[in-house]
Amino acid sequence: MKRLDRLSLGGLACLLVLVLFALGSLAGAGGDPDAIVGPRLQPPGPGWWLGTDNLGRSMVPRVMEGVGTTLLLSSIAVLVTAAVSATFGIIAGYRGGYLNELVMRLVEVLYSFPAIVLAVLVAAVVGPGQVAALASIVLVTIPLMTRLVRAAAVAVSQRDYVTSAVISGARLPRVLGRHVLPNVAGTIAVQGTYALSVGIAVEGGLSFLGFGVQPPQASLGVLIQQGGTYMIAAPWLVLGPGVVLVAAILAINVVGDGLRDRLEPRETRSLT
Amino acid sequence: MRPIRLACGVAAALLATACAATGTTTQPSTGPQAEAAPGYLAVADDALPSGGTLNLQVHIDSGAATGYDPQLADVATTWQLLSLAYETLVTVGPDFSVQPLLAEKWETPSPTEYVFHLREDVSFSNGRKMTADDVVGSFERLLASESVWRGQLGPVKSVAKDGDHTVKVTLKEPYTPFLAALANVPAAVLPMKEVNDKSVDPATTLLGTGPYTVDSHRQDVSWTFKRNDKYWAKGKPAADTLNITIAPEEAARVAALQNGSAALATLGNVDSAGMLAGARDVQVVTQATTDFYYLMLNTKAPNSRSSKFADPRVRQAITIALDQQQIADIALGGKGRPSAVTPAGLPGACDPAALPSASKGIDEAKKLLAEAGAQNLTFTLSIYATQPAPAVAQVIQQNLQQAGITVKIEQMDEAGWSGKVYGKVPAEFDAALSWFAGYADPGMVTKWWNPEEAGFNVGFMTPDKELNALIDAAGKEPAGAAREKALAAVCAKADADAQMIPLVTRPATVAFRSDALSPSLYSTEGYGNVLRLVADARVKKSQ
Amino acid sequence: MRLLMWWSGRALSSAATLLGVSVLIFAAVRLMPGGFAETVLGPFATAEQKAELATRYGLDQPVFMQYGHWLGAVAGGDFGISMISRQPVGTELLARLPVTAELSLLAVAVSVLAGVPLGVLTAVRAGRSPGGGGAAGRLLSGLGVSVPEFVLGSLVVFVFSRYALGLEVGPWVPLTQDPARNLATMVLPAAVLSVFAISVTARTTRDAVMGVLVEPYVTAAVGRGESPWFIVRHHILRNAAAPVVTLLGTITAYLLGGALIVEHVFNLPGVGSYIVQAVGRRDYAVVQAGVLLAAGVFIVMNVVIDLLVGVLDPRLGVTAGRRS
Repeated sequence: MKRLDRLSLGGLACLLVLVLFALGSLAGAGGDPDAIVGPRLQPPGPGWWLGTDNLGRSMVPRVMEGVGTTLLLSSIAVLVTAAVSATFGIIAGYRGGYLNELVMRLVEVLYSFPAIVLAVLVAAVVGPGQVAALASIVLVTIPLMTRLVRAAAVAVSQRDYVTSAVISGARLPRVLGRHVLPNVAGTIAVQGTYALSVGIAVEGGLSFLGFGVQPPQASLGVLIQQGGTYMIAAPWLVLGPGVVLVAAILAINVVGDGLRDRLEPRETRSLT
Repeated sequence: MRPIRLACGVAAALLATACAATGTTTQPSTGPQAEAAPGYLAVADDALPSGGTLNLQVHIDSGAATGYDPQLADVATTWQLLSLAYETLVTVGPDFSVQPLLAEKWETPSPTEYVFHLREDVSFSNGRKMTADDVVGSFERLLASESVWRGQLGPVKSVAKDGDHTVKVTLKEPYTPFLAALANVPAAVLPMKEVNDKSVDPATTLLGTGPYTVDSHRQDVSWTFKRNDKYWAKGKPAADTLNITIAPEEAARVAALQNGSAALATLGNVDSAGMLAGARDVQVVTQATTDFYYLMLNTKAPNSRSSKFADPRVRQAITIALDQQQIADIALGGKGRPSAVTPAGLPGACDPAALPSASKGIDEAKKLLAEAGAQNLTFTLSIYATQPAPAVAQVIQQNLQQAGITVKIEQMDEAGWSGKVYGKVPAEFDAALSWFAGYADPGMVTKWWNPEEAGFNVGFMTPDKELNALIDAAGKEPAGAAREKALAAVCAKADADAQMIPLVTRPATVAFRSDALSPSLYSTEGYGNVLRLVADARVKKSQ
Repeated sequence: MRLLMWWSGRALSSAATLLGVSVLIFAAVRLMPGGFAETVLGPFATAEQKAELATRYGLDQPVFMQYGHWLGAVAGGDFGISMISRQPVGTELLARLPVTAELSLLAVAVSVLAGVPLGVLTAVRAGRSPGGGGAAGRLLSGLGVSVPEFVLGSLVVFVFSRYALGLEVGPWVPLTQDPARNLATMVLPAAVLSVFAISVTARTTRDAVMGVLVEPYVTAAVGRGESPWFIVRHHILRNAAAPVVTLLGTITAYLLGGALIVEHVFNLPGVGSYIVQAVGRRDYAVVQAGVLLAAGVFIVMNVVIDLLVGVLDPRLGVTAGRRS
């Protein structure tokens, strides 16, 4: 089996570090993210290694909490998306017919909404907060994943081993679970990583517009939104979370690419 | 290894940017705002020529289903825009003294009688002369309307003209804030002849006696005002055209100031001075206002929630645990100041440090909570997302944590928030944060502590007979030591009642290009009107 | 005949999608908590004022009736009246649509002009040294999709307004009033908006080209000794075009959403900022019309793209459509 390339491994390592950060925050390392510990808008220094924000809170525990909130939120959302998309994509792709038509039409409807517009509507309906962010990410990422899973399922369902399983009398759940699902799992995994990065971006965008995670809880989007207004007077406020956010999305995408290259290897050639 | 090197390069570049940026940082100053003249942050230079175009940016447009009708306007951002086209009988000076405007003088033959002598040279922007009929008609229309300002105007019994240029108002009983209440946009003089014959609908057309007329308005995008050539005050307004751009995003307004596409902008961030430090020719001033934040504790919530704040000891414990000074210093960057129900900064307002709750410590708060059996009090604080409200809420949360109270902050958009707070009677929220415009007399905003008078807070505030009586008494008391004593009694009673807890004043930040504009600005504003003196502003160069 | 059948089917399914979208929008708008009355009239409003407002805008009728009325009116070209401005929503949308359209078109143009060459280049280079050869390119394109617009937008607004760098941050002027100034102020927002799209276009192009590279006709061309540039122009671009064009549909949808943030940051009076403000104020007619328009444009766009793909690559034919 082909190993992940070096770049992807680097991405994976980066993600691992971020997860450790998040876990550390849960364990209370770095201190209370809501506590006012010093003067406002202090540059990095002893006591607050990433500076203090406009309320005099240390940025170290805040960035750690932010990483945790953002990763957790996006991961849960992507798991939900994966479960929903896998179920509907496989059924639609395998069964075809009216069921397929119905699923695809619903997906199409969702797909017609620009992502942030959909997120804003969701946030307005359920009220700003984590639930809104979660629901938005799920609704934004479902259409593409469902389509691709369905396409993969259509391809798989015409393969010989599926046909022979059906002929040999296997029941539907078994066919779908044992033969179709494992063969679309690659697509789900690859799309999952992309959905994760979309999720982080959507969470950030929502928080930027004020509809995301609630204060005083920190998420990367919230921190960047708040820090952004202090870009000149206190650049450390946006720099820490900004670098972490970009690093997180980048790492996830790189891992996703690596995963895809491994699961769906493609031949290539030189033109010279 | 190339990718790793690339990543390092990116990181290094980012760090370099950060250091470069840090180098230019100046710490936001927290000292008192310097004045250009007593009561003024800036005074327009009369030596500069008149004319020219002024480009302004504000964060929000007027916007209500009641349209442009000044009598129904109830928010400061709308007053500000309408004040360019409408005027009132009297206005307020930099020290909150009442000054003549459309009435050149007035007499008070008795505490319940006011006789206004109108200027004879005033025309509406359509050219028709303003008469006593317009003034009487405007009064009558306002008193018959659903306007919130009806309550602020006080116990008006009758309004009658005495000749073409004299109007007499009779009150049922003495009411000290009467003139201050007349100085705000809802009491503007409307062209009643045109309104009555329906040729003008104030909801859709601005037609007043003010220095400017509307040239065009695109909702939430921009306004263009043109000089009213028929304006009565000679030499005013100075600028020919005002372009007002609505820019909700702070960064966009900061950008417009920096590149000079706006000569003046209102800013929301209390640290804007630091943000714009080093930007050439941009001057940032903090205009104190009488507006103040207050905390609402719902005592009328149905079923289980109501028990939370029904006990006055719980509410008093919260008042004691709140650290107004810390809220002012941290959430408002030292620009706000603690306030009692009479807005800090108004003459005659009571001293927040003298309130009963101010002298008590956190142990007192804990003791009260224990007595009320509410040691592990947890509640949700509903706020809206507009800065600095979230900052205020987070400091409140930290304050109350000292007394063992857990606050959950619920941040909503303004529509969701107002639906939750005002939408249902009885209201279903626990606690909420908002701010009041403090107006121009300490006896005005205090009226909102009487829910029967205010109306909007009947859903969450239980009327207190004693407090209401004190508010009325303070309203009747003529200015002087006796009134200050009456107001102090209101402050102390409201402090003990603690259903709406006053917190800190809410300053306005204004920035302007000193190379493009010479504006006039009061140091303290009562009606949230940054554009109050815009007719005096001189354009330095054509933009 | 087949074409006609396909087209009528496509039109029908698009109409069904649009209908679904309209139901969803309407439901979402009516499910939003917080009263239009409190927001539109302010906290001081009386019960009578609220009732009067509800009657004026038909909000006192059963929801199904309201939906029916709205749909009927929209079908007739009437998007309703804004509760805030009291002006017809259609007029305002018509004034704002060109702003968003210009912004998106500029961004699409930039992303095609930059993304396609970038994609071809990385694909060809990856072919030359199989394995991790394109790592730098991957990292760069990864960076492009990793920087959210609101971060980049705020940074660009700040830097370009603070320092005279040749490009301007506003103030926006209508295209019809002063085309040169308008373009000058649209460059930065369009650039911010296109960063993500460039990366996605580059990735898709790379994948498509890599797919074409192993086709027998490319092998034959290499065997004939044709120059790489000639092969790219004559064999690869034509055959790799279909997936890239298909992607443009997705990008357009993305840009319409991204435009919302960019419009907000740069204070451009486009459709996106109109929708966000209206959501905040529960200005029902505006939200409904704005979102419906955005979704409608996207749906129509995709039909057009299907047609385009059919023309570009007859092998795929109309039957394959977009459902790959």
